[in-house]
Amino acid sequence: MRNQVLNTEFRCLHCHHVVPVDPCYSGVQNRNHCPYCLWSRHLDLARAGDRLSACKAPMRPIGLALKRVSKKYRDCTSGELMLIHQCEECGKLSINRIAADDFADRLFETYLGYNQLDAPIHQKLQAADILALQTADRAVVHARLFGVN
Amino acid sequence: MELENHPTTDPPLPVEIDSRFAQGIVYKKSTGLYTVLAQDSWIRCEISSRLRKQLIYPIADPNSLRHVVREVKAIEHVDPVAVGDEVRFIDNGDGSGLIVEVLPRRTKLTRRTAVPMPGAHPFEQVIVANVDQVVPVFAAANPTPKWNMLDRYLVSAESLDLPSLICINKMDLVEKRNGKPGKPGGEELEEIVAEYRKIGYRVILVSAATGAGLPELRQALQGKISVFVGKSGVGKTSLLNAIQPELGLRVKEVSQATGKGKHTTTHLEMFPLDFEAGGAIVDTPGVREFGLWEIDAEDLALFFPEMHHYVGRCKFGLGCRHDGEPGCAIRRAVTSGAISPRRYKSMMMLQEEQ
Repeated sequence: MRNQVLNTEFRCLHCHHVVPVDPCYSGVQNRNHCPYCLWSRHLDLARAGDRLSACKAPMRPIGLALKRVSKKYRDCTSGELMLIHQCEECGKLSINRIAADDFADRLFETYLGYNQLDAPIHQKLQAADILALQTADRAVVHARLFGVN
Repeated sequence: MELENHPTTDPPLPVEIDSRFAQGIVYKKSTGLYTVLAQDSWIRCEISSRLRKQLIYPIADPNSLRHVVREVKAIEHVDPVAVGDEVRFIDNGDGSGLIVEVLPRRTKLTRRTAVPMPGAHPFEQVIVANVDQVVPVFAAANPTPKWNMLDRYLVSAESLDLPSLICINKMDLVEKRNGKPGKPGGEELEEIVAEYRKIGYRVILVSAATGAGLPELRQALQGKISVFVGKSGVGKTSLLNAIQPELGLRVKEVSQATGKGKHTTTHLEMFPLDFEAGGAIVDTPGVREFGLWEIDAEDLALFFPEMHHYVGRCKFGLGCRHDGEPGCAIRRAVTSGAISPRRYKSMMMLQEEQ
C-alpha cells in the first residue's frame, strides 16, 4: 500500500516502510504492494498499471493462487504464484504478481491465514472464479517460496 | 542590475496619442519582426527598445523581494508582443514601422516556457492574445492522441475564462481502422468524445483529407478569433488549408519512422477568414509539452467543469487534495460513475506536476 513520496519510491501506509519502485529491485513494472507487509493500495481499475481507480483504499493480502496456464497437458501446479488482495473499502478482489523482493515468510503466513478468513470472503472468491491455494497445496507453496519440500 | 521602485505588474507606460501613431493588430511574428495589419495594409514593424525593456524587466525575477534582475540574458526568452496584440506604432510610410505601445489584452493564452535545465526559472509565454476561443486539435490516429494533453489545454483555457472547441481531425483513418477488428481506434474514440460532450464541451469530428465535418467547423469559427493548438502532425495547418484553400500553406506527412509530426509550421501566424461574419485563425507550431502557468495544485479541480460542483464538499473541505483522503466527494463521484476515471487521473497527474 502506497503513499507516493517520489516517483522512485513510496511509503507503505500500513507498515510505513519506504519501498523502491524500480523494477531492478522487484522485477515488476507496477509496484503496488509493500514487500514487507504485502498490503497494497487500490490504484488500478480495469488493467494492471492503468492507475484509473479513485478508490485508493488499502488492500489486504488474503491468500495465494496459481496463475492458470493455457497449455493443456502442463502440470496444473506449474503456474506462477500470485497474491490475492481485497480492497478494504469497496471489497474489490485483485490478483497480483509476486515481486522478487517480497518477504517469503510473510507470503507463507498469508497462505496459512486463508483458512481463517470469513465465509463471505471465501464465497466471494468462489463467485469470482478465483481458486485460492488451500491446506492441501502446502507442499507446492513451500517449494515455490523456499525451494525445498 | 537592480531596478528600483518598479512594481512587477505595472502596465506599460501610456504613450501620448500622436498623429504619427497608427493602430493595428499583430498577425505574424518572427525573430524581432512583427507583421501588423492596419487599415487593410500590412506593415512590418520592429519593437522599440524602450518598450522591450519596459515590458520585460519587471518579470525577470518575480520571487525576489527586491526587484532584482538576476540574469540579464534571461530576458531574451520573453517576447513582450504576442500575435493578436493590438499595438500602436510609428508608421514610416514605406511599409515599415516601430511598435511603441501594446494595448491592454482582452484575453490571452499562455503556457510555462520549457526550461533548458532542471531547476532553471520558467517564464510565462503568451502564445496568443485577444482570442475568443481555443481549438485544441487532435488526430484520431497517426499520431496517437494523448488525451491528458487535451485536458491540459482545456484546463489552461478554463483558467483563462476562454471557451474551448475540441476538434478531432483525421477521422478518415478511424473508419479504416474500424474495418480491421482488434485494432484500437473507433470504439475508444467514441467513448472519449462522449465523455467530453457529457461534460459540456463541443467536439467536432473532421477530416481535412476528405472534407467531412468541415461545414460544422466553419460555422463554429465564424466571427471569432480562434487559436489552433496541438502537437506536431495532427493537421492544424491542413485544416486551415481545407477551410480556406487559397492559403496554400506548407504541410507534410507524419514521419513513418517515428510516427510523429515533422514540425512543418515553425512560427505563429494569424490568418483572417473570408467568412461573411469574419473571424480569424491563429495557426501555431506543434508543441511537445504544454506547462500550465500560474495554476495552483489545490485549485486544479475548479478548472475541470465536472468536478467544480464537488469542490468544498469533501470531509476536509477545501483542504482536500482528492488523493487518498477519507470522505473525498470527488473520489466518491468517480467511483459512482459521475466523473470519468480518466479525467480524474489527468487531474491528479497535473496536481503532482504543479
